[in-house]
Amino acid sequence: MIIWDVIAAFAGSFLTLSVLSMLWKDNPCFKFGQQGIIGIVIANSVLVNMKSLLDTGIRPLVAGRITLIVPLVFGVLLYTRLSKEYAWLSKYPTSMMVGVGTGVMIMGTLRGQVIDQVKKTILDVFTATDAMGTFNGILILIGTVSSIAFWIFTKEHTGGLGIVSKIGRVYLMISLGANWAGEHVWYLTQVLARLAFVYDNLIMKVLLGQG
Amino acid sequence: MSFVKRDLPLIILSACGLMLLLNFFVPTDIGNVVKAELTTWTVIIGCIGTFLGIYYMTISQWRLLQQTKTTIQYFYFATIFGFMFLWLAVGLYFPGGVTSPQYLWLQNNLYRNQSGMVYGVMFFTLSSSAYRTFTIRSIESFALLVGGVIYMLRQIPIFPAIWPGLLPLGEWILLVPNVGGGRGAVICAALAALVVGIRTLSGREATMMEVQ
Amino acid sequence: MYEEEKKDDIWEKLGNFDVRWMFLGCIVLIFVPMIWPLGLPTIVSQPTKDYYNALVDLPPGSILAVSFGGGFGALDEREAQFIATFKTIFSTDLKMVIYCQVSEGPAVLEYIIGEGTGLADPLKYGKVYGEDYVRLGYAPLGEVGETAITTNIRSMFSTDYYGTPLDNIPMMENINGADDIDLLWADYGACTTIEWYIRQWVVPEQMPLIITTLGCCAPMAAPYYPGQLIGFLSGSGMGTELEITSGNPGPGARTSDIKNLAILPFLLYLLLGNISSFGKKYMR
Repeated sequence: MIIWDVIAAFAGSFLTLSVLSMLWKDNPCFKFGQQGIIGIVIANSVLVNMKSLLDTGIRPLVAGRITLIVPLVFGVLLYTRLSKEYAWLSKYPTSMMVGVGTGVMIMGTLRGQVIDQVKKTILDVFTATDAMGTFNGILILIGTVSSIAFWIFTKEHTGGLGIVSKIGRVYLMISLGANWAGEHVWYLTQVLARLAFVYDNLIMKVLLGQG
Repeated sequence: MSFVKRDLPLIILSACGLMLLLNFFVPTDIGNVVKAELTTWTVIIGCIGTFLGIYYMTISQWRLLQQTKTTIQYFYFATIFGFMFLWLAVGLYFPGGVTSPQYLWLQNNLYRNQSGMVYGVMFFTLSSSAYRTFTIRSIESFALLVGGVIYMLRQIPIFPAIWPGLLPLGEWILLVPNVGGGRGAVICAALAALVVGIRTLSGREATMMEVQ
Repeated sequence: MYEEEKKDDIWEKLGNFDVRWMFLGCIVLIFVPMIWPLGLPTIVSQPTKDYYNALVDLPPGSILAVSFGGGFGALDEREAQFIATFKTIFSTDLKMVIYCQVSEGPAVLEYIIGEGTGLADPLKYGKVYGEDYVRLGYAPLGEVGETAITTNIRSMFSTDYYGTPLDNIPMMENINGADDIDLLWADYGACTTIEWYIRQWVVPEQMPLIITTLGCCAPMAAPYYPGQLIGFLSGSGMGTELEITSGNPGPGARTSDIKNLAILPFLLYLLLGNISSFGKKYMR
């Protein structure tokens, strides 16, 4: 076993257990593990974005794609927000980013997330091949209509709307429960995988010399 | 001056968005070229702006330090920058950058354990909060419990092994009632996003460009 | 006197159960299957079968675009999915164009499919870089980056990740945008990201779409399935299912095995909470 494997086992296990120590109480050991993540994420982001900027912006510009001067200048203008006097200049790159982002978002939203979803909800009822499929389709139709009713905030939820929105709430709670369950099992996977690292690398390989 | 400071940025915002929308509904070759250029420009601007993150992170940590000048706070400050400079040094020094074996060693053995366990600790946090959240008090809380527990059990092999019907039941929960609720949420969120998007392109959501 | 008795009864005690016992129980029961594996079977679900079939049913030579969003933080949840999927793809005659939409993506990709070092080593399947697969690097700004790629890959990436001009790579000769792609495999870690692919690939380009994601994101992807979304894997459990379906054993089986007992203290804790609530309401 080489020295780096031993260092990895000890360092990795220390960091795992230091973050886990939070279960006992918030302590400097936990904070050490947690704060390190901030620095690592920033470093990784800087490294990868630097490379991306070189590959997407600077090299093609040097190779002759003159139009890329515009985003490079705009990108530099972003930093004027650090000056109170010239901060208004940073509105130019921001407005381009917001405009493009908004345009890109609107493009497929109406068809992909509204029309196609409504179409599928209705067609599922009439194109099902068996009774169970039709039953499921009806349930989905009821759920979709009632959960949309739940999101109507311009009218008080009383009378018919109240009953329909209550049904919608039940559907949304089931959906939230499924979402919660997925998260819970995900976090469980993280715990056991990290403890498996401690078991495999530190206990079995380094301390017991097996594997 | 207000034209340059307020109106011109709004014109740029609206023009960029409308050009993309126009090309979506009426595709043309020149429209595709403009779309490719605009999106690439935006990506490049985003790349350059990433480095502002270092500045803002430094400022916020510095302010935190000024508020509580204790040894432990200095330690946390040093921890963040220590990790950051170590990762930057390894990423810049070794050939291959973030794909070098040395960088991968750091990421896989140190960062993965730290960040993975931060997610892992949330298992315990969620579990302790579930004690109160998942008590049956109403039909909604019962629905929350049933949807959550059945879908959770479906993902743990021992339970479908005990009762094989749990797998199709869990799938049914995911693909019928969850879809019923989720589809309504998707449609409403999409309509809301459309409204905000149109308001943004027509210049009525100027707060998006406020500089603080 | 009555108030003191009320605090001491069994229902109150159950309601004030110390959560740290549950934590300890979970941690202890995590180690038990590690030392003595249970080896329970995993049943494969329909979305996994659809996901697998979407890959293997493609004609040889088809182009698969991969929008990769893997990060180290949540890699434990998705490692099984990645390894099994890449092994499945490498076992076929599909061509892959891979780009990353998160900054940790390039490193994770190297960890998974690095030549000679990766967990799904393409060299073991006789795959040649530049002829069978190409790595394009990082496309920032999420949905905007996706739009740029669907329109014209070369507007975003004039070179591959290693600096080779795309025009010098044999595989990329006839691949310019979404029109030249046959299937999109999107991997993401934030639940609403699926909307990017629906808006930028499925709606304008009618692109068949399969996804891999975290366990908590399946409920938000389900409204698009089946139809806009052909198949999906969510969480390590479905990664295990793909390992079984594709015949590529990996880390998922062990992860699923260890989960079996670790969840039991939590379920007991939940049951105690409900018994306490029921008892306080109806049994006093």
